[in-house]
Amino acid sequence: MVGHGGALTRNSRASLWRFARALFTTNLNAALALRGAFVTQTVFMILNNVVFFVFWWVLLRRVPHLRGWRLPDVEVLFGITATSFGLVVALTGGVRQLGQFIEEGELDTLLTQPKPTLLYALGIRSRASGFGDMLSGIGFLAISGHVTIVTIPLVAVLIAAGSTTILACGIVFFSLPFWIGRTETISRQLWELLITFSLYPEPLFGGVLRLMLFTVLPAAFVSYLPVQIIRQPSVAVVTVLLAGSAAYLAFAVRVFERGLRRYASGSRFVAFG
Amino acid sequence: MTALRKYVAFARIAAVQAARGRGELYGRMAFVAVILGVFSALWKAVGEAGMPIAVEMSALVWYLAVTEWILLTPAPAYVDIEADVRRGDVAYQLARPASYLGAAMAQGVGVLVVRAPVLAATCFVCAFAVTGRMPDPRSFVYVVPFGISAMVLIHALYVLTGLAAFWLGDVSPLFWVWQKLLFVLGGLMLPLALYPEWMQWLAHGTPFPSLLAGPGSFVLGVGSADAWTLASRLACWAVVITFGALVVFRRAVRNLQLHGG
Repeated sequence: MVGHGGALTRNSRASLWRFARALFTTNLNAALALRGAFVTQTVFMILNNVVFFVFWWVLLRRVPHLRGWRLPDVEVLFGITATSFGLVVALTGGVRQLGQFIEEGELDTLLTQPKPTLLYALGIRSRASGFGDMLSGIGFLAISGHVTIVTIPLVAVLIAAGSTTILACGIVFFSLPFWIGRTETISRQLWELLITFSLYPEPLFGGVLRLMLFTVLPAAFVSYLPVQIIRQPSVAVVTVLLAGSAAYLAFAVRVFERGLRRYASGSRFVAFG
Repeated sequence: MTALRKYVAFARIAAVQAARGRGELYGRMAFVAVILGVFSALWKAVGEAGMPIAVEMSALVWYLAVTEWILLTPAPAYVDIEADVRRGDVAYQLARPASYLGAAMAQGVGVLVVRAPVLAATCFVCAFAVTGRMPDPRSFVYVVPFGISAMVLIHALYVLTGLAAFWLGDVSPLFWVWQKLLFVLGGLMLPLALYPEWMQWLAHGTPFPSLLAGPGSFVLGVGSADAWTLASRLACWAVVITFGALVVFRRAVRNLQLHGG
């Protein structure tokens, strides 16, 4: 079992890239086959994000700024978080099912494949709602006025870093069943907490909570630092962001590999499609 | 009396099941605690910039505690009804000597009996913990009965949404739309007084403000005069929703008999 986790280093990067691309293409085609459902989920996710934004729109019409944050800053916050989260659930939608795979012994099928188990488990699903998140996120970024043609590459890097952190947290939270059994509710809530905190301006939080948001529940690496970089570009903060998100991902992969050693087969045959 | 006993039994079974589903209840309690903490910090920051409404920061946190209590207590009955329709279970449930709609409503009330006190305690204790203040104790005389009435109506709307599964199959998109309308037009996070006039006008043409903002506004200092207005609005919407559910259900059953389940 460990061999499959460790296989990440043995396979050539090109082979892994082809495999990941094939997984995504297959999932996307499957999602698009149900065109009506795909469009509905995409549209409703956009609507969902816009509705939540109405709160900030109403509030910041009445109060010009909150500890230095204005409406365009909140638009960037929503844009970065929604695009990053959308990217994760569209490309690696299997992360939310990781706990179910572990609890119900459904990793067996993946372990028999000659590809890295974690990559396979993550890429096994693509959620249409993720495309709605991405579209609405791009819309928020576009209307914010903070993003120009020149800064698009930087924003893409920031979104990639945010996505990496969200994915890493998802892997850790949904790997908890390796150690403490059925944790579906707890894992889901921890992940939702991460997203919730990522959607509020950083200056609102202080003390121990602030420390938590930079460490165990790293909303700072999802949205606070990216927004700070867009408002005031800084090489040092970009370096911290990239190093931090890479470290979270490395930690998450390590956690999954350690958990895989404890995995007990469900003795079930499950067909994934 | 015998007829009533049947529905009491439905309610009791649902209450027992709700009491056993502790994971979901704990999840909702944790969510309330976090969201009230976040909004307490938010209103503090708003207070520094100048409150846009003539109420204290603590009152706005209490307002959110009341609206979240009302929103989080009812169980999403549309999920069960949709599953009944999809699996075809609804066919044998219709043949039972009890109304399908009546049973669904009784089950919802059973869940409320278990969840409402627990979530009320969570919401109100958390609101007190983060603000250190209590609203006028007399406001609870209105908040509790109006809040519970609103929960029953929200449950009825869940049931009505679930009945759409007889035609649509998957009712999730329909649910998302009305849930988002409830959040915005109901004034879940902000009192409607902060909204632009056109949004307030739009909101008052729907049942949503009576379900959330109405009961929540009692902790903002709204008095007994408004209680009568809210009571009459809730009664009107109860009639409309009940009538709508009966009509939709009759058509659904006729549709099922003609085309099969």
